[in-house]
Parts: sequence; structure tokens; C-alpha cells
Amino acid sequence: MSEPSIYLDYAATTPVDPGVADALSQALCDETTLANPSSVHRAGRLSAHRVATAAEQVASLLNCDPGQLIWTSGATEADNLAIAGAARYRADRGRHLVTMPTEHKAVTDMFRALEKEGFNVTWLAPGPDGMLDIGHLEQALTDETQLVSVMHVNNETSVVQDIEAIGELCRSRDILYHVDAAQSAGKLPIDLRRMPIDLLSLTAHKFYGPKGVGALYVADRPGCHVEPLLFGGGQQRSIRPGTLPVPLIVALGQAAEIAEQKQASDLAHVTRLRAALWDGIEGVEGLVLNGHSSRHYPGIVNVSVADVDGESLLLDLEPLCVATGSACNSQNQEPSYVLRSMGRSDAEAEGAIRFSFGRMSTLEDVEQAAGLYVNAVSRLRQLAPAA
Amino acid sequence: MTSDPYSKEVRRLFKAPAHAGIANGPSARIDAQGVSVELSVEARNGQVEAARFRAKGCPHLVAAAEAFCADLEGQPVAALETQFGVDIMRRLSVPVEKTGRILVLEDTSALLAGKL
Repeated sequence: MSEPSIYLDYAATTPVDPGVADALSQALCDETTLANPSSVHRAGRLSAHRVATAAEQVASLLNCDPGQLIWTSGATEADNLAIAGAARYRADRGRHLVTMPTEHKAVTDMFRALEKEGFNVTWLAPGPDGMLDIGHLEQALTDETQLVSVMHVNNETSVVQDIEAIGELCRSRDILYHVDAAQSAGKLPIDLRRMPIDLLSLTAHKFYGPKGVGALYVADRPGCHVEPLLFGGGQQRSIRPGTLPVPLIVALGQAAEIAEQKQASDLAHVTRLRAALWDGIEGVEGLVLNGHSSRHYPGIVNVSVADVDGESLLLDLEPLCVATGSACNSQNQEPSYVLRSMGRSDAEAEGAIRFSFGRMSTLEDVEQAAGLYVNAVSRLRQLAPAA
Repeated sequence: MTSDPYSKEVRRLFKAPAHAGIANGPSARIDAQGVSVELSVEARNGQVEAARFRAKGCPHLVAAAEAFCADLEGQPVAALETQFGVDIMRRLSVPVEKTGRILVLEDTSALLAGKL
């Protein structure tokens, strides 16, 4: 029998919290979630009530109005809807958009599609630490700019952008600001009544909920609106039509409620785990941290060694489940575009490993991971020709 | 479930490469295609007595280098000049997109043959 896995790939997807799993399994067989929530009969109204409760739970986590949330199938759809929907809605005002090459593919590929539609996109490169220079953003903005999209926590490097400063700059120019919060929602404080954010994407499966459900926050202020990507039955004010997956939405609500309760303890936990992991690997010669030394979410650690092949390293680390970069990008063998955008060489990007952990991870997990990493790098260096 | 990209043979050869190292004889090295391969042999009376490799690259490359060195021992040195890449790719189920890396191994072998 093979060794049990040590799962340290929480940035790809988290395990489902037992409390969420209970809520989901009950909701799958419950008369209060049986009906289509758009139906006006009693069962429909019960389903609609469960959806409304979930909206209140998510809104409480984000400190926003429940009516400002649009349910989606996940963060990819939420990102697509926010970016294409806002760009097209405001196209008559201007066709200039701004983002970064280090965003998730759900964002960058949407912007590339918009370029083919005739939009003009400015791609702002990060510094070597992954951070956006606000001065560069300010210089990039023009009278034509209608939308800026810069994520909160980077999914590969854990870099935390200064979303409040970006939002304030955008707000002062009447430019919409979208935040991909897939990696931060439920993990870091987000206060949408205070933060100048117009559009924010999240997905349940990054904070201990099920896959297949997410949400887009759309601020209720003049000029902030998204045109739909889908057309159909008029649900969700026709912004995102389609019958709502009530059990999944109930589970997302439960995940949000638990995340709100456990946010501080979860953050303290992953901070301890990060310190233990770093203690274990920092002695590796030539080790480079891909990210920012202080502006990071502690649950993701991305490191490189330039003289070791990443694919061999990944196999040598078994039974450890980690990533060579973004899991969403694992089907191709190109070096991480995020790390390349930060100025890393092909060799450094190819040798990168992302450890990510969370609520269910243990100190033993990360200590074992550190030991496996040190041994694997050592063995592969011995296997390689002399430099 | 996504299929395992590595066969049992690749995993076995990658995890325990008995022929990793340097032989007491001539060597050749090529750095190309993002990989590095170094081969060395100890030959006597036209026969390869020991073959060793060092490699930086993907698991398929390491496994192929190990399999090649194991096969080479006991063979005439002329075996270094054979075009073994296609056979070894088939044997180890190496994905076609890694052909270039396996050809680096083949080219290193040919380079070494020229030094004997």
C-alpha cells in the first residue's frame, strides 16, 4: 500500500470543513432546498429563504449588503463576469483597462479576449517582490481608463497587494476597481463598506467550501454595473441568469460563517506553520523566496532553487502534494508566467515549489515537508553534472 | 483521475538510479533543451565495463539515462553510436513532447563515442 499523502496544496483547493460538509449533505436532501428558489409556491419560498440566509452569511464575512452579491459557479466565472461585464458596460465612456501579468489566468485570459474585442489593456509589471508600484499605476491611468483589476493575494506567491491604495486611486478617478479575492476571502479581513472596491470575486473551495460555487460582489454606486455573460431566465436581475444551485449556495454560506468565526485563529495557525516550514528549509543553499518578505499571506510559501529541475523535485517530494506553480497551470510545462513576470529566470521558475497549507494542516505535516524538500534538493544536486 | 505521467519503470529507475555517478574513463556532456546530461564509460578491449551518468532534467530523462547506462554495460563500445532514443522512449512511455530531451541523451552518447 502506498504512503498516505501529505496535502500541502491548499492554494489549489482546500479540504471541505466538516461543518460545511454537514450543511451540504443536509441541504441535498432537505425540503427547504428542494425547490427552485424562483418558484412562488411554498417550497420555492423556502429555498429562496435558504439562499437569502447564505447571502447574509457571505455579506457578513465581507461586510457588505447581501443584495450586492451575485452567485456564480466559482471565481473564474466571477472574474470573467466582473471584467468583461464592467468593460462592456462602460465601453462608451472609454476602452482602456489596466491589470497585471501576475493575475490568475481567469483574469489575464479575459483581458486578452477583450483586447481582441478592441479594448486597450495596459499590463503593469510587478517589482521583483511581486508588488505593484502605485506610482506606475497612476502613470498608466488615462481619461479613457474604465477598469483596473489587481488581485488581493497572489495564488502562486502569496504577495498581498495594497488593495486599499489602489482602490482609493481608482475611486478618485471614477474608475472601477475589481479585486480577485479567491485566495484571500475568508482568510484575511475584507471590509467592503470601508474599502474602495467595486467588484470582488470569490470562490467557496478556497476557504473550506465545495467546488462549483462562488460569488461576485458588485458595489451599489453610480456607474458600477456589469453586463451579463449568460442569458436566460432572468434570475439574479438577469446579471447572471440560471437556476440557483441551492445546496451549494447553502454550503458557501456555511463556509463563510465558519471562516468569519475562525479567521483570526486560522491566520495565527498558518503563521506558525509558515515559521516552522521556513525554519526547516532556509538552510538550503541558493534558496530564493518567490514573494514579499512581509506583505504576504502566510499560508502560501513559494521557493526556488535554480539548479534543480522542478518536475523531478515534485516527484522526489512524494508523498507530499505541493505544486510547481499554479495548479490551474499544471497542464503545461512552461515555466510559471507569474514568476517570469517577477524577473525570475527560466531555471528559477522551473525549480519553484509552492507549499500551501491551512486550517487542517499540522505542524507535523510542514516539518515532514521541510525534511522531504531538503533531502530531495540534495539528492537531485548529487545526480546533476557539476555546475 | 488524471493518469500517472510516470510508468512504474520510470519511477523505479528515477528513485534508485544505480548508474548515477562518474566512470573511470572518458566522458562527454551536453547542455541543451533545458537539461544537462553527462555520460562516462570505462572500456576495455572494445567492451564497456562500466557506464555512468549525471543528469539534470525531468524524471523521464533521468530514468532514460539510467536505463541506457544499465544496457550499455557489457556491450561493444560501438553501441554508443546507435540511435536508441526511439526505443527507450517507447520502453519507458516517454511523452512525445520530451523527445528533445531524450535526443540530448542520444547526442551525448554519440559525442562520447567520438572520444573513445
